[in-house]
Amino acid sequence: MNKLFLRLIGSFNPLLQRSGVDTYQLHEILKLKLLIDNRRPVNLFAHTKRATKKAPTGKTASSWGTYLVVGLMGLFMSFTLFAFKLPLVPQTIYFSIFMIMLAITMITDFTTVLLDVRDQYIILPRPVNDRTLTVSRILHIGIYVSKLALAQGAAGIVLVGFADSWAAVPLFLVQMIEATFLSILLVNIVYLILLKTVSPRKFKDIISYFQIGFSILIFAVYYLLPRLINMAQIENFDLLQHPWAYALPPIWIAALNEVLIHPGRSNIITSLLAIAGVLAPVAGLWFVAKVLAPGFNRKLAVVATSDASAAPTTTVVQEKPRFNLVNRIANLIAPDPVENAGFRITWKLAARIREFKIKVYPAFAYVPIYFVYFAFNSKGSNLSDKYEGLQHSGKYILLIYLSTFVISSILQNISYTEKFKASWVYYALPITHPGKILSGMYKAVSTLYYLPYCIVLGIVSIVIWGPAVINDVILATFMGLIYGLLTALFLMKGLPFSKPVLVKQSGGRFVTSMLIAGFIGIVGLGHYLLSRWELLIWILIIPAMGIYWLMLHYYKKQNWEGIEMEEL
Amino acid sequence: MNDAPLIQIRNLSKSYGPKLVLKHLSLDIYPGQVIGYIGPNGAGKSTTVKILTGLIPEFNGEVLVNGISMQQNPQEIKKLIGYVPENAELYDVLTPMEYLDFIGKLYNMDEAQLQSRARKMLAGFGLEAVADNRMDTFSKGMRQKVLLISGIIHNPQIIILDEPLSGLDANAVILVKELITRLSQEGKTIFYCSHMMDVVEKVSDRILLINKGEIIADGTFESLKQNHADTLEQVFAKLTGRDESTQETDAILNAFD
Repeated sequence: MNKLFLRLIGSFNPLLQRSGVDTYQLHEILKLKLLIDNRRPVNLFAHTKRATKKAPTGKTASSWGTYLVVGLMGLFMSFTLFAFKLPLVPQTIYFSIFMIMLAITMITDFTTVLLDVRDQYIILPRPVNDRTLTVSRILHIGIYVSKLALAQGAAGIVLVGFADSWAAVPLFLVQMIEATFLSILLVNIVYLILLKTVSPRKFKDIISYFQIGFSILIFAVYYLLPRLINMAQIENFDLLQHPWAYALPPIWIAALNEVLIHPGRSNIITSLLAIAGVLAPVAGLWFVAKVLAPGFNRKLAVVATSDASAAPTTTVVQEKPRFNLVNRIANLIAPDPVENAGFRITWKLAARIREFKIKVYPAFAYVPIYFVYFAFNSKGSNLSDKYEGLQHSGKYILLIYLSTFVISSILQNISYTEKFKASWVYYALPITHPGKILSGMYKAVSTLYYLPYCIVLGIVSIVIWGPAVINDVILATFMGLIYGLLTALFLMKGLPFSKPVLVKQSGGRFVTSMLIAGFIGIVGLGHYLLSRWELLIWILIIPAMGIYWLMLHYYKKQNWEGIEMEEL
Repeated sequence: MNDAPLIQIRNLSKSYGPKLVLKHLSLDIYPGQVIGYIGPNGAGKSTTVKILTGLIPEFNGEVLVNGISMQQNPQEIKKLIGYVPENAELYDVLTPMEYLDFIGKLYNMDEAQLQSRARKMLAGFGLEAVADNRMDTFSKGMRQKVLLISGIIHNPQIIILDEPLSGLDANAVILVKELITRLSQEGKTIFYCSHMMDVVEKVSDRILLINKGEIIADGTFESLKQNHADTLEQVFAKLTGRDESTQETDAILNAFD
């Protein structure tokens, strides 16, 4: 596949040479970059874990895995081609998803490649001119995107033959190219705006928020879209009746099919839209090349080097002790010095380590999404009926118990980081009871993430169901804390941020985690059944607090035997 | 010694915003010299190196290498230079052979020559057994060796080494020191940046001390010694304005009270 692309580019060699590119160097750089891509672990699908350590050479499964996943998504997407009967609509929806997926994959998965600092030290000191480097970068991105687009569109190319007509198949390829170019343009604009408005360091943070947002979006679409949207209404939705839709690029792309394959039902508007669709990528590319690209590469270089060479221009980030409140909380609830250290290190690292945030923050959004999913699953013809039905149900208990998902997601990720080697301090220092660090960690996680979250949910519950639910919220919160501690005891064996991401989660723990999840399920059900006796709930809070306190007490006593150490 | 300087730096200045990091630096470096380039952190050392290697294209003043101007033809100059950067950056998903093959080809080297040279050099550094293993499992010393090779593989006229000994074991340090001497006998010019005064003292035949963007000492170790002190460390301390007294250590120890 890569060789094919390289040969294709090779055929443009005379042209490239004339513009001042050293084609031999270009070929070598591209060949190497593609090789590195093949061996690179994939960002977007973080669960297809890296397997790079083993095979010394050759392809790893990761790159093929990506294309497989992307291809499957493409397959699901292409079912939209069948779903609607009206002209334009199916293809518009298909290409909307196509472009969004492509753009987001580019942003999340390729930014690291684009911002590779090492180029600065490895390629720049060699006799490679700027044009060669720039062209290599553009072509590298081009190859990457083409491969993604091909994988994503493969199913569509075939299925459009069934959904529409066989004449639409070659045209579909053209439409895909249109969509790809427009997506690149979109990403370029996003990058440019970000580079213009934020500092380089922020830029990387924002990219990681994109990743978080993407996870949430996929999750929400999967669970909620079918619940909230009435398919019957959609099926009769005529896009052309809505002038605002004319501004959306996917409709331009779809219009091309309309004009060329079904000339009978096209009119002046669809023709204009189709022309816009053909012109936009060309105009867009010109715009990128002439207006955005020049400053763009230089700015990207600044972003890329901002971490490595602490040039005096970049302002040093000073972490002033401004979280005085947190420090005070720490001193209040974790007075023991070792425990206090565990509390503060957990809090600070959790707030600053990007990879942790990417994995954990989506969980905060998953809970409301799950809840809406369950809550509106009930009978009722429209949304307000469903809301009314919700108010008369006891589902707030479900809401609070669902939030244990947040705490378990935090706990299952908090031991892992790329920079796990810094954890030597735990082992080198005379710490007799590592349980103190763990309990500090647990207190930090629960007070800084879980409790505020429960308070917010509690307020929401009170707004919806009235103040009578306070006792339930408190009891459920404590049950959640107990559940969290169980998770910490059985599923989390390492100190905070002390293990490499590689060895994560062996299968044996699955049973344990199911047992613990089952436990909280049963507790939640029991709570639901008992919830009509308000006084009983109030009384139950006391033993729950007692059990929690007792468990924490023993958790703190944990010694080194119970902790998995990593070879540093 | 050849009387035409190989590297000529005239009135070189560089500023980041309002801060002037290099203040009108002027220097002549002759073929075959081993220059020890020392200075405290933030003195402008790595900025000089980055300008010399073409990593920073914007500066004021003139840099001529072999008569070629850095502003006008940096690519020609880069061909003459081998650079071993300080922060051991390399593509660690590659094997040493793949990496060296790539670097050599960027210098337009012939494949067969490149391959055999890379193998021989890896063997010389004791890495023949891992020549086809990915570098992500390599120790710091092993990576450093690969970097060193990548800096000399194209047989450059000028070799710029920035802390080349970091992570190397004692035997490898001896090897590199010998290598520097031998390369300079072959007529190579070596620009050696380091904080390790004892090594600089031994390998270099001319020492440049930079402080606050200016060269404040320039000469052989012998000549520097006569003016100031017995060891390069002391010369360094004196010239960069460190107090002779024990004030600093006093302050640190007093913190215990």
